[in-house]
Amino acid sequence: MKTIKQLSIFLENRQGSLKRILSALSDQNIEIQAASVADTNDYGILRLITSNQTKAAALLSDIGVLVNVNEVLAISIEDNVAAFSATISSLTDNGVVINYLYTFSKDGRLVLIVRPADMEKAELVASAQGFQLIQGWE
Amino acid sequence: MERKYWEEEIETMPRRQLEKLQVERLRKTVEIAMGSKFYAPIFRERGITPESINSVEDIKRFPFTTKNDLRSTYPFGIASVPLQKVIRLHSSSGTTGNPTVILHTRRDIDEWADAMARSMYATGLRDTDIIQNTSGYGMFTGGLGIQYAAERLGAMTVPAAAGNSLRQFKFIQDFGTTALHCIPSYATRLAAVFKEQGVDPRDTTVRIMIIGAEPHSEAQRQRIEELWGCKAYNNFGMSEMCGPGVAIECQEQNGMHIWEDNYIVEILDPVTLEPVPEGELGELVLTTLNREAMPLFRYRTRDLTRILPGECPCGRTHRRLQRFQGRSDDMMIVKGVNIFPIQIEKILMQFPELASDFLITLETVGDNDEMTVQVELAKATDDFQLLDNLRREIARRLKDEILLTPKVQLVGKGVIPQSDGKAVRVKDLRQNH
Ligand SMILES: [Zn+2]
Repeated sequence: MKTIKQLSIFLENRQGSLKRILSALSDQNIEIQAASVADTNDYGILRLITSNQTKAAALLSDIGVLVNVNEVLAISIEDNVAAFSATISSLTDNGVVINYLYTFSKDGRLVLIVRPADMEKAELVASAQGFQLIQGWE
Repeated sequence: MERKYWEEEIETMPRRQLEKLQVERLRKTVEIAMGSKFYAPIFRERGITPESINSVEDIKRFPFTTKNDLRSTYPFGIASVPLQKVIRLHSSSGTTGNPTVILHTRRDIDEWADAMARSMYATGLRDTDIIQNTSGYGMFTGGLGIQYAAERLGAMTVPAAAGNSLRQFKFIQDFGTTALHCIPSYATRLAAVFKEQGVDPRDTTVRIMIIGAEPHSEAQRQRIEELWGCKAYNNFGMSEMCGPGVAIECQEQNGMHIWEDNYIVEILDPVTLEPVPEGELGELVLTTLNREAMPLFRYRTRDLTRILPGECPCGRTHRRLQRFQGRSDDMMIVKGVNIFPIQIEKILMQFPELASDFLITLETVGDNDEMTVQVELAKATDDFQLLDNLRREIARRLKDEILLTPKVQLVGKGVIPQSDGKAVRVKDLRQNH
């Protein structure tokens, strides 16, 4: 599988719940490479890519945080809008349904984190399109 | 051949004979309680004497005793014997006002150990078992009460006491513990500790769990049995009656046999205080028949239950109480609807996505009552839609049960407050409540 691990963390919208998580990670010198938050008034999901996902998951679960680990596609593209929109179009044009996506910059390039509805299909399409996929870098 | 009962004669006594025994013991109890500064004047006023007791029906001549009576006579005002005959005191802390105190003579302690040993035997526990007790050894009767009973049974008893889950984990494995006494929420918490340590609780030697001291649903029992791969038996005790050992489920797991040689059982309408028709839900009211230091007459337990009809296949003749359906003073009236927390728990248990703790908050918003139910997620997900659907589905199923739609709030671990290791179920912040 050409995927990377993503952590999804249940966040209560209580003062300090995000800060508690971030400082637990930085205390152990775990670097956050990408983060996205989806939330309502009551709760949210924090999705994280860190420098050491296994260690981060164990650490957070130890302090009583609910953590889910799953696989996502990480596509490395040129850091411009044209490349971004071309990539998304070729995925969706080939029938890939995207549940959510977020991006971050790494070594001068843009990395797209994509969670498709059907991972197997998305991997096939991405390979066929010749996308540069990052595999678990830890 | 191994005997089937701890005390066959008493446990299988024909009802007629059992009632005769109750009348005899009620007379004896009245005689003892004439030594109580609290009961003596009441008896005089109502003409209650040992000789005037002719049938179990005479219990209606007695007034009720309430927790308030215990508070207002704190600490020794109800004692029926000189304090010199008292060898132990248990106390439960009150959140308001005085705590309550229950006194025991040597005979009381002895009879109590015997009743609880009888209860343990009914669940299949034997002297070959290793019983680990996770209750606090202090004023709470679940510690010493279980200890004495397990020793009476002849089992090897591990007085692990409350808390320190890693130590419980180690003891269970090192000693080959075959039975645990714990509150139901701790059974699930301890199972989680095992899993965190990479051990499936099903792989331990634990075969029987005695659970009690906390209301729980049938679904919660089943979850405990699945988690541990064991049998879990509901055990009813209350310190006012002695402690654990008042009633227990036999291996049929269909209702708790209440030991009627030790108690007169009444099920009353909590408002009119008249008996409910046989088999209907009402408040459990108990009279002790085998205690000396502090007999109590018609004690209002506030627990709601019913008598299960028919005979139990196990052969015991003592009647069975249904799992408690809540407390008569827990009932919430929200927008004119009567609701018990156990109804909410029953629904929440149907969701594998949830852990077992929850909190109901009642507030006044404008002129209306608002109910919020906080539920604890069992695991995280990356799927936002899933959480939203879950929340909607919980609200929908709750509405089917309680006829109004509460606000449902998902929370993570450790948010729902605990007190004395028990989850707090209801927080009523309404004005005029
Ligand atoms: Zn039975």
